[in-house]
Amino acid sequence: MRRRDNPYSRFVAWAKIVLPLAALALLSTVFLLARNIDPTQAIPFAEIDVEELAREQRISAPNYAGVTEDGAAISVTASTARPDPDSPERVDATDLEAELITATGARYQLSSQRGEIDSGADMAYLQGGVVVTTSSGYRITSDAMSTSLSRTLLESEGPVQADGPAGRLDAGSMSLAPLPDAEGDDSANHLLVFNKGVKLVYTPSD
Amino acid sequence: QGQVEFGGMEHDTSDPVEVVSDTLEVNEEAGTAVFSGDVLVVQGEMRLSAATVRVEYTQQPDAAEGEEQEGNEIERLHASGGVVLTSGEDSAEAQEAVYTLATGEVVMTGDVLMTQGGNLLSGQTLRLNMETGNGIMEGRVRTTFSPGNGN
Repeated sequence: MRRRDNPYSRFVAWAKIVLPLAALALLSTVFLLARNIDPTQAIPFAEIDVEELAREQRISAPNYAGVTEDGAAISVTASTARPDPDSPERVDATDLEAELITATGARYQLSSQRGEIDSGADMAYLQGGVVVTTSSGYRITSDAMSTSLSRTLLESEGPVQADGPAGRLDAGSMSLAPLPDAEGDDSANHLLVFNKGVKLVYTPSD
Repeated sequence: QGQVEFGGMEHDTSDPVEVVSDTLEVNEEAGTAVFSGDVLVVQGEMRLSAATVRVEYTQQPDAAEGEEQEGNEIERLHASGGVVLTSGEDSAEAQEAVYTLATGEVVMTGDVLMTQGGNLLSGQTLRLNMETGNGIMEGRVRTTFSPGNGN
């Protein structure tokens, strides 16, 4: 069969050679020009020290709720809590927040950067920028405060500053305790006492 | 009844009030605040010292909640337990005193003793207006002049 030489046949003959070569070239780029894979950043992972996490017990977002003897509902929450290695009843917590709602409806909110809850002594110790806001409009800041978990008893060791209805106030220390009723046990009313020297500045607004 | 002049200086009732005491007790539920332990109240030229001072807030009737909402303005200071009020070189002593901040009026009761310059004035109640500086002494007023220093 005589080869009929026309442009189309020539084109097909060339295509039969060029197309497979192109395919071969394309295929080879998959292996020859591949990105080199860097094993070290294969998967981004958190920097937390994994051993530390595994070794110690840690509770995240723990909360404690209870009712004190004089009928005040107390709830304490924190962002993390770690049991104190040398005494089982003590728990160190960070970003502690506590709320106390007394039977008569007065509400106290406490917050601090660090704290320690000692369930043995039924006390919670707040340290680091403690802020207490009371429903009667007082905002008290101090650097260390302790609150009892079984009684509505709140005491600040060091000096406190307070802003409230009576004006701006500095005091040596502060305590909030239930008022004794007739028989002498805790009534539902509470007395907020600033002592060790009180200095108040009130600017009349009229 | 005796007309008195007290603390002639201009007393401004909008001056900041400074209260220094040993303790301050705030009864949360009753909303009372009581300073105790040699309390000293200073406002401008006026100095009032007493054993205890009870703070009384303005009672703004809060329509929303119906019952009176305790305002955050101090309306009156009730001083008791031996009160000494001094302003400038005048001074007055009594058992109790009530100082109304808005009007600058001080009402002292309980054998009031007032020294003014040289002379001495005593009575049962003394009503003073700190802004104007004048006041009225009432109840068995006795005045003792001390001649000689003729001020």
